[in-house]
Amino acid sequence: MNDQEIKDLLKQSFGQASELERDLWPQMLRRMGERTTTVPWFDWALLALVVAGLLLIPGTIPILLYQL
Amino acid sequence: MNTHPYLRAYMAGVVVPSLVLLVVVTAYFFARFVYQIAIPIERAIVFPMALVPSLFGLWNMFYLWLRPRRHLPIGLHGALLPFVLAPIGITLATTLGFLQLGPNGALWFGRFVIPYHEVAIAFCIGLMVYYLVWKYLVGFFNQVIGIA
Repeated sequence: MNDQEIKDLLKQSFGQASELERDLWPQMLRRMGERTTTVPWFDWALLALVVAGLLLIPGTIPILLYQL
Repeated sequence: MNTHPYLRAYMAGVVVPSLVLLVVVTAYFFARFVYQIAIPIERAIVFPMALVPSLFGLWNMFYLWLRPRRHLPIGLHGALLPFVLAPIGITLATTLGFLQLGPNGALWFGRFVIPYHEVAIAFCIGLMVYYLVWKYLVGFFNQVIGIA
């Protein structure tokens, strides 16, 4: 049995199984799109409160640094 | 195959405080050696360097364990951590002698008095910071490491 015959046998055995039933690229694109996170307004408000608090009362900064 | 999810949760949890630690240590060293503020850095650094990262990792393991039982959003789970950290931090600071709780406020390093209302505000800010950090940073690392 030569190489060509082995290749043919392998193709016969695995050829059917390895063929994709559909194009996976659109699904991949959809998943990549899903990963973009949108930050809700509530979290922006919290961040603004944190920044305002740190600016108005700088004494809280070392306490935060100690705790983080 | 055992994929060691709790080990990965621990690793994902310790990333953020380890990165913040660089900022904290830099700030401490600037205060100590550039501005010559006499603070006992070696005693103060124990808590943020040794305990906080470990507790972040353990808290993330706890989140992973808790998720199938009583699911809490990761941000809220993280916002509960200061309720554990603050008593430990205060106890350690008073034990090591760089924090005294006086009638007017908390005396840090024997020279900085922070009134209690500012300590309370700092705690509330800490809750918000922890909520955001856990929701976006620890949550991101959990996703990266495949346990989100």
